[in-house]
Amino acid sequence: MALYDMSREDITETLPLTEPVLLILLSLAGQPQHGYAILKDVERMSSGRVVLSTGTLYGALRRLLDVDWIERFEEDETPRGRQAYRLTPQGRRNLQLEIDRMKHLTRLATLRVATKES
Amino acid sequence: MLTVYRQLLHLYPAEYREDFADEMMSVLAEVRDQNANRKIIARIRILLRESAGLVTGALRERFSAFIEMQAELSIGRFTMRNGFRFPKSTIIFMALILAGLVMAIQRGEQIAASPHVNQQIGPIQAVHSTLLPPIVLFLAVFYVLGFVGWAIVFALRRSGVHRLADVSGQPK
Repeated sequence: MALYDMSREDITETLPLTEPVLLILLSLAGQPQHGYAILKDVERMSSGRVVLSTGTLYGALRRLLDVDWIERFEEDETPRGRQAYRLTPQGRRNLQLEIDRMKHLTRLATLRVATKES
Repeated sequence: MLTVYRQLLHLYPAEYREDFADEMMSVLAEVRDQNANRKIIARIRILLRESAGLVTGALRERFSAFIEMQAELSIGRFTMRNGFRFPKSTIIFMALILAGLVMAIQRGEQIAASPHVNQQIGPIQAVHSTLLPPIVLFLAVFYVLGFVGWAIVFALRRSGVHRLADVSGQPK
């Protein structure tokens, strides 16, 4: 069955991502963003459920920079203290893997629940 | 408010501050400005949230090398991958070990104070003088073993082995 086709090789040891990290990556998926814009975007995407502090955000950004999932994005005339970040190709790939994993899980859960109900 | 944040940023390692302190201060200033018109209670809540975030973030950065090393050396449930999460059974084991140690000391004191002298082996002598060299030797051996273990982990980290988990089989 297609639902069981996802091989273990496709699932990195870093998955599943925590919700804050997933939301930070989703925030950067569309366009480069600086710190405050990421904070607000995460809050908006989660309907106010996930409110990151600055310390938490930069802890996550530091770790994502370390593993090359994101990179600093140099803008023209960037004011000091407003550094933007964007996804790297590797970060985008891993984000897509996480989305695929979640899709797989959702489809499987839907199927199992439907089978049980019928 | 910003003064508090600036002071708390000093808790971070110097290298981290060099990379991120200006950006973080900029974001914290934006957070303050955007919430300037809110009620005092809301502003205090934000101050507490940001302060707690800075303190926990600084602790995490300070102990990040230790946490990562523990994660690499983790066995089964004794993992510390997500920070300092001991299994609850650790407290029970530690209490049992402490109780055993106290009982052993009390028993030793009772034996030492006993007037009974065994004719075959003679009176019991204090063991402090004979115990000290083995303790030093014991500590030295484990210190060396610990250093060798640390060197191996450090060499593995330097070789980039710890990054293999992030590669996911795809070229960069």
